Amino acid sequence: MVDLKMQDGRIVSVSVGGDPVSIVKILEDGEEIIPIVGNVRVDSRPSRIVIDRDGVESIVHCARVGDRWWIHLDGYVHVVDVIEPGAANASDAEGAFTAPMPGKVLDVLVPEGARVREGQDLMVLEAMKMEHRIAADRDGTVSSIYFQTGDQVDAGSVLLDFVEDE
Amino acid sequence: MTQQDWMKDAPHPIRSVLVANRGEIACRVLRACNEMGLESIAIRSDADYGALHTEVADSVVHLEGETLADTYLNIDAILAAARSSGADAIHPGYGFLSERAAFARAVQEAGLIWIGPPAEAIESMGDKVTARRRMMDAGVPVIPGQEIVDSDDEDRLIDALVAAATEVDYPLLLKASAGGGGKGMRAVHEPKNLQQEFLAARREAQTAFGDGTVYIERLLDGSRHIEVQILADLHGSTVHLFERECSIQRRHQKVVEEAPSPVLDESTRLAMGDAAVAAAAAVDYAGAGTVEFLLAPNGSFYFLEMNTRLQVEHPVTECITGVDLVEQQIRVASGLPLPFTQEDLTIRGHAIEVRIYAEDPSQGFLPATGPLAVFRPPEGPGIRLDTGVREGDVARIDFDPMLAKLIVHGSNRDHAIRRMMSALSDFVILGATTNIGFLSDVIAHPAYRAGETDTGFIQRHYPKDWVAPAPSDVLLLIAAASEHLGIHRKSVGLTAVNDTGRTTPNDPFQRLDRRYP
Repeated sequence: MVDLKMQDGRIVSVSVGGDPVSIVKILEDGEEIIPIVGNVRVDSRPSRIVIDRDGVESIVHCARVGDRWWIHLDGYVHVVDVIEPGAANASDAEGAFTAPMPGKVLDVLVPEGARVREGQDLMVLEAMKMEHRIAADRDGTVSSIYFQTGDQVDAGSVLLDFVEDE
Repeated sequence: MTQQDWMKDAPHPIRSVLVANRGEIACRVLRACNEMGLESIAIRSDADYGALHTEVADSVVHLEGETLADTYLNIDAILAAARSSGADAIHPGYGFLSERAAFARAVQEAGLIWIGPPAEAIESMGDKVTARRRMMDAGVPVIPGQEIVDSDDEDRLIDALVAAATEVDYPLLLKASAGGGGKGMRAVHEPKNLQQEFLAARREAQTAFGDGTVYIERLLDGSRHIEVQILADLHGSTVHLFERECSIQRRHQKVVEEAPSPVLDESTRLAMGDAAVAAAAAVDYAGAGTVEFLLAPNGSFYFLEMNTRLQVEHPVTECITGVDLVEQQIRVASGLPLPFTQEDLTIRGHAIEVRIYAEDPSQGFLPATGPLAVFRPPEGPGIRLDTGVREGDVARIDFDPMLAKLIVHGSNRDHAIRRMMSALSDFVILGATTNIGFLSDVIAHPAYRAGETDTGFIQRHYPKDWVAPAPSDVLLLIAAASEHLGIHRKSVGLTAVNDTGRTTPNDPFQRLDRRYP
């Protein structure tokens, strides 16, 4: 059984088996759901599998980087995350603003504790010499600020905590 | 190395060329040198150890340092590299030092051949105000606009800004006077946003170019961005190689380019070609250059700027004219005359180029990073890939996020579109987010197919972020089966990648995945 997280946030437990490989059991929110029709076998070339959907075969490229499967299916790339057993179910920190890209903090526009309105700019980041503004998406209070002007930030770093107005 | 036959009558023969660049353009130029029988020399920074361009070259000079200022922008270090490697000519590629007149001069003062236009032409065209004046004198039409010279007196600056904005009229565009490439560019539709946008543009201009001077001009909504390729030799001959249309842009950076334009009629094409040749002649141009025009919905066109270098999108022109522009640049620099006249040049078929960026179109086109765990480009008739990376490399934040350019050539526009759709669908990059899916949707869009490709295209058709196709449950089967079959253990790339995204080519214990069986 492997726990997978889809891009839309759904978490599904999937058990597969057989040769070619097909779904044995699939659970969402503890309930069994209708299994996906089709089966999969290894291709002779690396990073490829062959999927058979109702007798129609197609080649799918896939690669796992970290805990993420990257899948090229029918001309588009999708990702599916593997939730490792024991790993905390890391949902995004509620009410926090994270850096959408790696870069540098150009300016912090509000002090800690500031009451801000929806749409107000809070911080300015720079990457590739382009400015990107972090703006409040609702009314509330900036409870903590974690970076100062000039700091480097990684993608996903929590920039500031935010408490929404009741 | 022996002198090549094609160069036997050249006044300034070239034997070896140092390419002062990196990435796809360095690969492109180095290959041209190899084909012409010239010794090709690359430079690299610390971070570019093992980069593709260093493998295309006959030899590589390592410039110490990680920063651009220490390496690809370091004139002294590049000249020293040319001396130590015995290069007799320098090709700058695009970006970096390609449009620095001081570099062109320093190369020539060092006794080397500069494969580019005269320093004076770079200077005249690099300064938007001078360029504008020279173009008006040469009878080339220009857009209404003014420059706001930077000053510490913010009150006077704002007064000057408001006065200029009133005269130029809304909507207007703010851009770094010293710059290009979309940096420091901002559109202002209403007076109330003017001050904030101006201050941001000034700050970006200051950071990117060290000069906060901002140029303000009328934004011609619904206009098309059309540019004309020119070639000039040192004997007074200048030709144009028709136009490219580069109207599909995001953040004022080009995404899709094609040649010829889907809308230009023959008389406008000729008028624009003549204007481009006049613009080049007005600054005594030599080599390859591009004159950019805005074509307004009413059919009138205006000079925008001249790029005094090879353009990113030069391959579409090469496809439709059959002329190798880099080869011509080198021939011109060696003093040879152009081997054709205007009458010899014709348009054959239609070519489209898309820029493959490591970026997330569903997150405001923000740059993305990650290992290129799988990089399988499409193949087939009429498909060309100009790439600076290959499988196992890493998309990093340090440079431009462009990974590669995919170019197709077809017998007509519709054929080229179908070829591009198919090529994009076959292009597999896994491990870093790219814009390939977005490009597929743009090329397949009915408005694109109808040739409605003005500069507002992305804003109009994708006003919010692009939405990727909804994930299907088949992905669950694929992921679970791949996990079960151990596909990731059979697919370790050529280069190991650690969690920070840095390659560690010599470490056999690092793998693409962090799990060990």
